[in-house]
Amino acid sequence: MRELTYKDALNEALFQVMKADERVFCIGEDIGVYGGAFGVTAGLIEEFGEERVVDTPISEAGIAGACVGSAVTGMRPVGEIQFMDFVTISMEQLVLQAAKIRFMFGGKATVPMVLRMPGGSGTGAAAQHSESLENWFVHVPGLKVVMPSSPYDAKGLLLAAIEDDNPVIFIEHKLLYKTKGHVPEEMYTVPLSDTKVVREGRDITVVATSIMVNRALEAAEQLAAEGIEVEIIDPRTLNPLDEEPIIRSVIKTGRALIVHEAVKTGGYGGELVSRIMESEAFDYLDAPIRRLAGLDIPIPYNRTLEYHTVPQIESIVSEVKRIVRGEV
Amino acid sequence: MKEIIMPKFGFTQETAEVVAWLVGEGDVVEAGDPLLEVTTDKINMEVEAPVDGILAGVRVKVGDVVPVTEIIAYLLEPGESLPQDALTGPVVVEAPPTGGTATPVAARVAADLGVDLTKVSGSGSGGRITRQDVEGFATGAKNGQTPAEKVRATPAARRIARERSVDLVQVAGSGPRGRIQEADVLAFQPAAADRGLVEAAIEPLPAGDYRVVPMTNMRRSIGQNLQQSWQQAPHIMFQADIDMTAVEALLVKGNHRLSPDEPKITITAAVTRAVAWTLQDHPWLNSRLVESENEIHLMSHINIGIAVALEDGLIVPVVKDANMKGMKRLNEEIRDLAVRARSNQLKPDDISGGTFSISNLGMFGVDRFTAIINPPQAAILAVGRTKSMFVPDDKGQPVVRPICNMTLSADHRVVDGAVAARFMQDLRLALEAPETMLL
Repeated sequence: MRELTYKDALNEALFQVMKADERVFCIGEDIGVYGGAFGVTAGLIEEFGEERVVDTPISEAGIAGACVGSAVTGMRPVGEIQFMDFVTISMEQLVLQAAKIRFMFGGKATVPMVLRMPGGSGTGAAAQHSESLENWFVHVPGLKVVMPSSPYDAKGLLLAAIEDDNPVIFIEHKLLYKTKGHVPEEMYTVPLSDTKVVREGRDITVVATSIMVNRALEAAEQLAAEGIEVEIIDPRTLNPLDEEPIIRSVIKTGRALIVHEAVKTGGYGGELVSRIMESEAFDYLDAPIRRLAGLDIPIPYNRTLEYHTVPQIESIVSEVKRIVRGEV
Repeated sequence: MKEIIMPKFGFTQETAEVVAWLVGEGDVVEAGDPLLEVTTDKINMEVEAPVDGILAGVRVKVGDVVPVTEIIAYLLEPGESLPQDALTGPVVVEAPPTGGTATPVAARVAADLGVDLTKVSGSGSGGRITRQDVEGFATGAKNGQTPAEKVRATPAARRIARERSVDLVQVAGSGPRGRIQEADVLAFQPAAADRGLVEAAIEPLPAGDYRVVPMTNMRRSIGQNLQQSWQQAPHIMFQADIDMTAVEALLVKGNHRLSPDEPKITITAAVTRAVAWTLQDHPWLNSRLVESENEIHLMSHINIGIAVALEDGLIVPVVKDANMKGMKRLNEEIRDLAVRARSNQLKPDDISGGTFSISNLGMFGVDRFTAIINPPQAAILAVGRTKSMFVPDDKGQPVVRPICNMTLSADHRVVDGAVAARFMQDLRLALEAPETMLL
């Protein structure tokens, strides 16, 4: 089976879709000659030229605005925000324009744009280059929010996002770029709003997003050695959420742990807990649903502190044990 | 035709037991005539005829426990006869009302909590089971008697309990803080024969080796209240040997002034006076713990309960606003309450509202004893006999003094040791130097 890194899977997806659809173009800071801060757009400018791989000044509002405007006129822009942190500059374009236009024009206009951005900590890049802001967008109807956790999903979800007629916030993870996995060579899509059970188990449901899926999988290996079978679920698309597989799983296991890197307070975990509590799974809960999430602080620069600020494999292992053993 | 119903004498009263019929079927009575005597948890009462008439259709017999508002008989006008439905279907008084007479919300809550409705007695109109009854039963059964906290159980445990008709109250939880989890319900085996086990544990004796005394309402009530108090209130005890010289001198002087037909002022009245005076500065001892609200109520009035022994039980009538009354007045009121207590003449108001209790067993020659707090009060004073003892005077020489041992029991959830100790210190001052109470 062919293996690619997460970064190369994204790169391949962009190559293929730009070849197949001339409406698709990329726009962002240092994405051309430099190939992007993490190399996702490497080689594109040589293949497609400056017209379709547009280097911009440092102006995130401009990138997002250009995407919105060109999308409304029929293009399929793929913008890149160098670090997710800087998407804060783009909020007006995304929240007030991209998310609203289709509704306010009664469906006569659509905004088929994708805005890619790497989020997350773990690179020692400190508080202004390590944010996990996905829930900012989850809270805005009209935006779709996608967070792939594997190379296969990265390629398939990016192609599906570009195909979608709505604005999609596509959140990658810096630490995932170098992870490897099976990626088919041909073009394929992974449908949006299609929650995936990535590992089956009977004792507890762990719902994880982005890199936390990978950490949960490692934790599950360790826990399996102790006889604890963890079921791991990756929503992949946070909004609109396909909640059914999560509810089915909690009905089966009776226990749930939510793991995400973003800070706990106001994080996506609260939404997931609520979806479970409001569903028929409530009657099957045999323990409180717990959230393992980032501490409510900005990401510290010190590497040791940074490490302990967000969930790690060992913290997932111990939290799962506490729940399964009825200690909480 | 006039229906006679079982009256409700107290707020919390659910039933009353028929003690005696004072008139018979066919007797002519006038409005206000006593028809029958009933007993509630606490006191005996007479049920009077509401109108003139002829007693007919008596539906309850002596010993029946009847829900309040239940029809117990009819009064007919001359020439009138009982309607057919009054003759048929006498009330069922043996068993408390069952599932059929629960309010819809009570039925739902019972299902949620896994409560068997047939075991719950109703306090609603006509003995209907209310939501409070169900919740009270669920918590009560778990904790011996009193509602204290709800059953902790996971949603999954509750669902399975519902499906299998398991009463969660009986299930032991293995989770944190005793939370009942799914596995606990699955593992739960209902005791095969609860009754059988209990009966087997008591060695059977041949009939005639014992005399059967039915558990009266009063005995049950005493048992429940005091068991609850003893198990739930952490009792702390404080003893003081108090020199009664000054009190005795005061009583001699005071009693000397009474006319011959007036009752002599007793030690109980003097102690009541001193306790009421002392409580004015010690509100924690004059308080109630209201657990359901998470509150301690420091009571504005000082109402002293005086324990009175009865032939078949015990009752604690209350002297209202005791701190506003002198020893002579207290003596008269205590005497009146005791007389009425022994002749079953107390009214509900006479036994309610107490904020502190005194139990004096000195007249039986008891040197010292401890008493169980009368809930929801926070403290009770046990008074032993006053006896002559050698004690050193201020020069260290032995002198004979009347010494009385008093033991305070206080609820440590409300009253701390130093608080109780200061109360005892001031009580000693009031009794050893009663003139202090004039200040």
